[in-house]
Amino acid sequence: MYLLEEAGANKIVEAMAEMNDRAVVSIPKIGPFDFSITNTVLYMWFGAAVVFIIFFIAAKRMKKSPEGLQTTAEILLNFATGHLTGQIGEKGKKYYYLILTLFSYIMVTNLIGLIPKPSQIMPTTPTANINVTFGLAIVVFFVTQFQGFKRHGFRKYVGSWLAPPGVPKAMKPVLNAIFFVVHFMGEFFKPLSLAVRLYGNIVAGHLIILVMLGLILQYGIALVVPAGAFVVIMLVFEVFVAFIQAYIFSILSVVYIESAIYAGH
Amino acid sequence: MDADAAKFLAAGIAMGFATIGPGIGIGLLTSGATQAIARQPEASGEVRTVFIIGLALAEALALYAFVIAIILIFVA
Repeated sequence: MYLLEEAGANKIVEAMAEMNDRAVVSIPKIGPFDFSITNTVLYMWFGAAVVFIIFFIAAKRMKKSPEGLQTTAEILLNFATGHLTGQIGEKGKKYYYLILTLFSYIMVTNLIGLIPKPSQIMPTTPTANINVTFGLAIVVFFVTQFQGFKRHGFRKYVGSWLAPPGVPKAMKPVLNAIFFVVHFMGEFFKPLSLAVRLYGNIVAGHLIILVMLGLILQYGIALVVPAGAFVVIMLVFEVFVAFIQAYIFSILSVVYIESAIYAGH
Repeated sequence: MDADAAKFLAAGIAMGFATIGPGIGIGLLTSGATQAIARQPEASGEVRTVFIIGLALAEALALYAFVIAIILIFVA
């Protein structure tokens, strides 16, 4: 991105500088790892705080007849226990903690990016950063693999990646090798696709809005009305995307965890 | 050809071709889901869940290409 910024001529590219990370508190690098606190990290903390406060206040003021915030929290909880984790069955019921947290956190961070903010507070969307989405996906990956290895043991879990029973004896070694490679790669592609899907959806939506606004900067105020109208429509669509992506991320996590719990069936 | 021009061309071509498959896939998926709901409205909840999962899986293919395009433009 810096390559194009140096050119400096293109205002659309300048508007896209929003996608950059900027360090707020610089901490010297430890080996290859950079632990400095960037604006993305701050917005992640903000999102986590919002999720925490919503559920904390709702839990504190719990009443028999729910109203206001408690209704929202209860809808989310019912959604996570019933619709999302409901399909795993009894064995996976305890995962509603993880899934509910993932769902509300991703939705809140997606929505944070849609609130217009002055440039002084360094606006960014945490989920429009591939490191954040990969972090979330890696959590799901480890939960999935931990489930598989703990429930079935190493032999049985890895055995479920091999050829299914009933194939001809002569073909077995070849098929086993093929099945193992495919399943082994598949296990790593699951978190990859989770991360890239969330990142791609959020970035693509924001880029369209930025490019549309950049057109106004580039070609003057004649484009304010058409571009502005398009941006308004896109923003409404982005609210929908923020929800649907959180939903997809959590339901696919459920599907992956479920496939590990019932491996070999 | 200029190296930068090649990058932008590659990104555009990648994105354009990558949307063909998921476009067809999502079209088939939507047609199937509408038919299923029309035939059995009481199953619409389950159909919707499967539909959205399938949508996500089809859409991911285009997004891989999108990420490749972004890498081509900004990183490579």
